[in-house]
Amino acid sequence: MASINHQASALKTGQVVLLVLLYIFLYFPLLFITYDSFVHNIIWPFPPEWTLEWYQKLLGMSDFHAGLKNSFYIGLFTAIPATLFSTAAVIGLLKYRTRWRGGMILLYISPLFVPGLLIGISTLMFNANVMGMSGKLISAIIANTTEDIAFSFLVILAQLVRYDWRMDEAAMVFGATPAQVFWEVTLPTIWPAILGAFLVSFILAFNNLEISYYNLGAIPTLPTIAWGSLRHGIKPELFALATVINMLVFSAIAGLFFLIQTGMVRFGYRGE
Amino acid sequence: MAVKQFLHSKDLKALALSLPGALFIIFFLFIPLATIVVYSFWRTESYTMIADWNLNNYLTILTTKTYLTFLFRSLSMSLAVSFISLIYSWPVAYYIAKYGGRYRLILTMLTAAPFFTGILLRVTAMQQILGPIGVVNMFLSNIGLKPLHLLMYSHYATGLGLIYLWIPFMVLAIYLSLLTFDFKLLDAAMINGASPLRAFWEVTLPLNWIGTCIGLALVFIPTFAATITPKFLGGVNGALYGNILAHQFGSTGTWALGSAMGVLMFTISSLFVFIVFKTVNLNRSGYTGKIAGE
Amino acid sequence: MDTNKFLFFFKDMQTSSYALQLVEVEKQFGDVRAVDNVSLEVKKGEFFALLGPSGSGKTTLLRIIAGLESAGKGSVFIGGKNVTKNPPYARGIGMVFQDFLLFPHKTVGENIAFPLKMKKMSATHQQEQLSWVLDLVRMKGYEDRFPNQLSGGQKQRVALARGLVARPDILLLDEPLANLDRELRKEMEVEMRRFQAEIDIPFVYVTHNQEEALTLSNRIAVMKDGHFEQVGDKLELYDEPATAFVASFLGLNNTISGEVLRQENDFSFIDWKGIELKIPTPNGIKPGDRIAYYLRSEKMHINPHGKSNPVDGSITLTAVLRDIIFKGQYSDYFVILDNDEEMVISDVPDIESLKIGGKVDVSWLPSSGFSFAADGEE
Ligand SMILES: Nc1ncnc2c1ncn2[C@@H]1O[C@H](COP(=O)(O)OP(=O)(O)OP(=O)(O)O)[C@@H](O)[C@H]1O
Ligand SMILES: [Mg+2]
Repeated sequence: MASINHQASALKTGQVVLLVLLYIFLYFPLLFITYDSFVHNIIWPFPPEWTLEWYQKLLGMSDFHAGLKNSFYIGLFTAIPATLFSTAAVIGLLKYRTRWRGGMILLYISPLFVPGLLIGISTLMFNANVMGMSGKLISAIIANTTEDIAFSFLVILAQLVRYDWRMDEAAMVFGATPAQVFWEVTLPTIWPAILGAFLVSFILAFNNLEISYYNLGAIPTLPTIAWGSLRHGIKPELFALATVINMLVFSAIAGLFFLIQTGMVRFGYRGE
Repeated sequence: MAVKQFLHSKDLKALALSLPGALFIIFFLFIPLATIVVYSFWRTESYTMIADWNLNNYLTILTTKTYLTFLFRSLSMSLAVSFISLIYSWPVAYYIAKYGGRYRLILTMLTAAPFFTGILLRVTAMQQILGPIGVVNMFLSNIGLKPLHLLMYSHYATGLGLIYLWIPFMVLAIYLSLLTFDFKLLDAAMINGASPLRAFWEVTLPLNWIGTCIGLALVFIPTFAATITPKFLGGVNGALYGNILAHQFGSTGTWALGSAMGVLMFTISSLFVFIVFKTVNLNRSGYTGKIAGE
Repeated sequence: MDTNKFLFFFKDMQTSSYALQLVEVEKQFGDVRAVDNVSLEVKKGEFFALLGPSGSGKTTLLRIIAGLESAGKGSVFIGGKNVTKNPPYARGIGMVFQDFLLFPHKTVGENIAFPLKMKKMSATHQQEQLSWVLDLVRMKGYEDRFPNQLSGGQKQRVALARGLVARPDILLLDEPLANLDRELRKEMEVEMRRFQAEIDIPFVYVTHNQEEALTLSNRIAVMKDGHFEQVGDKLELYDEPATAFVASFLGLNNTISGEVLRQENDFSFIDWKGIELKIPTPNGIKPGDRIAYYLRSEKMHINPHGKSNPVDGSITLTAVLRDIIFKGQYSDYFVILDNDEEMVISDVPDIESLKIGGKVDVSWLPSSGFSFAADGEE
């Protein structure tokens, strides 16, 4: 008995070590460039010579403002349709049993199995040669939307499989019209999933390089500016950019997490 | 009160809600993908597509040694990256799912979060760690050791970078699968005489094989198409198949050839997914096809 | 005057005296006929129970009445109005679900007031109704709690209050007590009858528990494979089950079957695996037919062998006592008869003289059981 317990705890310790190493592997580079973004001696920043010059340089980069604006538009106008499409689809497929459910779910997640590079070049070819519109913001938005529908579909699906749709039936019996059912019962319960999907789509589209790059031509976004400047060697202002983006991403995730933890948000209901 | 005919078929309602997005994906993703299949049989001449049906593009990419070398390199790279991610992710995901308790959610979110920084900035961060003047080599030279050439602009650096980018997907896929796994089954197996390792092979892995396969596909596909990571971490000789493909859509303007390369890439990815999912036996996967509440 | 039209008009008039009327309702799921040609009238103020085994179509029928499921055929009238084509929210019904289905993001007060809010009732009016119904279900003071802060019984009361608050034409209840433990169930059964008597709204109550149906309701319909086997007053069903199925479902726990040997007056003599038994003759049965006979264990008596003192006309058989289950007021005695068949008898406890393994006499009046032509199922 003792040896089995011993073995089990050794195994568990090993797993903890692997988990901690993974976190170090994932976060050390990001934390290091965050630190780097505040020092002058970026190559070997010990001891640090503190500075904010990289942030000033970032703001002074040509196209920075245009890139920020375009990235923001791509993020926003990708996230809105992606979230709407996928919310409607998840509700339709989970609430009403249909024999097409399996096929539809496959279709919705299929964009995950197409690499960004292929989405980028195929939409470039299609838009340029068939639709006759290349180098437009809208092309990048549409192409990003196809991929982000899949991501937001998964985010919403993962949460909504736990939702009890008979609650909607109960509401209807008590006099709620389909619209009232949605506003009074469904939405108040599932909005965190929808918000999560929106944030995920926004962030992915905002940061996307490969899909946007092929569709945009000369129009700058933050990732394409970064791409452009990286080709000429290390640019510490990108560390500043990464720091800013990470701050925003982490505060969004922390906010969502806080909502879930404090119980302001509850999913599903099974009569307990 | 507006009492309209209410009772439509459920199929109709499900379709009304799910068809718009489905059509969007079909029209803006599948049809463009189909067009590059068409273009792969065409010809490009001074930046225009010419509908002159031929197989030359395929002949070129399948017989020219350079293209085949890059293809082989990419394939080995993505197989290695997927496999290493798989081995590493299992114990990690297992630990989070089984012992994470109330911290499960945050532990998982922590593995997934870096993904949102975006590929380019993450590769930049990696460059700052691994490159010749990266912090690892600077540290080594500061304490008087020789720099690690292995990490400087090499395939190893690219591989490490790709694992860095995509391992969160693998952890997430396995973790989500383990979430629905009943760990008490292991007690049952062990009471019946299976050692922990045996129980893992006989019970845990088969019942979570679909999730594992999804993880494999989600890591293999983007690594096989990688362009940014090899470009910034792989060095002068570090280019992979994706770089060569992307090149056709750059200054050379050989779109037809690029399309053929894209089709080949898609075919190989699909083949990989197909082979992986061939190993799934639905009857033994514990999959019931049901969703909660039914 | 067109007499047909007049009759039709008259029929409509009649309809309106019912709270609920179903006319030849049918529902098919693939090859399963979940509801098969069901007609039913429920009067105002009635407590009506729908009793049947699992899968007999009770829930489906209730969902058709609520409008959550469309009737393949037939019509539904509620409060005299044809609502067959109405959506659930335009039927004026209340419903209580098996696992309550309270809205987790709304407080008790908001949950209960939900039907009123949907009717766009004024705030003061809502408040009045709410306080009335909270009094009724004895949940005053719980308005601001959330459902996950309530016990099972309290959730049940809230679910009931929500069903009743808008004073619906009819309240549908789908096994509302199934999720409660035994104690609470007994308590809620009493409460349930009190509510119903106080507010005079008809209840249609689904259950597969015959005891619950008999305790609570005025009338019962016994359902099997989508159709009604028998509909009637509860005593009528208890005392005169119309079919073998109803008899077995309403707690007639001894089943005897055999071939008719001969007939005398109103009685038949059957061969029950070697024992000749006298039973009442069902309609149209001739010698040579097979018969099923159901005996209620409470109508039987047990005594130590040779000590029985049977009433006139009783049958007495000897048997060996196999087991005794003590139940308080009475005990269940399991005996093995000479033909190796088992029977259960409920009689007053007699620890002194009845011993396991001992010989006993079992007796009953032939007319206290029910016999039916055996239709293949033993
Ligand atoms: N949505 C559906 N699709 C297909 N078949 C169904 C559906 N709903 C019910 N059925 C079938 O109809 C029959 C009646 O089911 P129903 O739920 O009405 O039974 P019930 O009497 O309520 O049983 P229980 O006491 O177990 O609740 C069953 O055979 C069931 O399998
Ligand atoms: Mg039921």
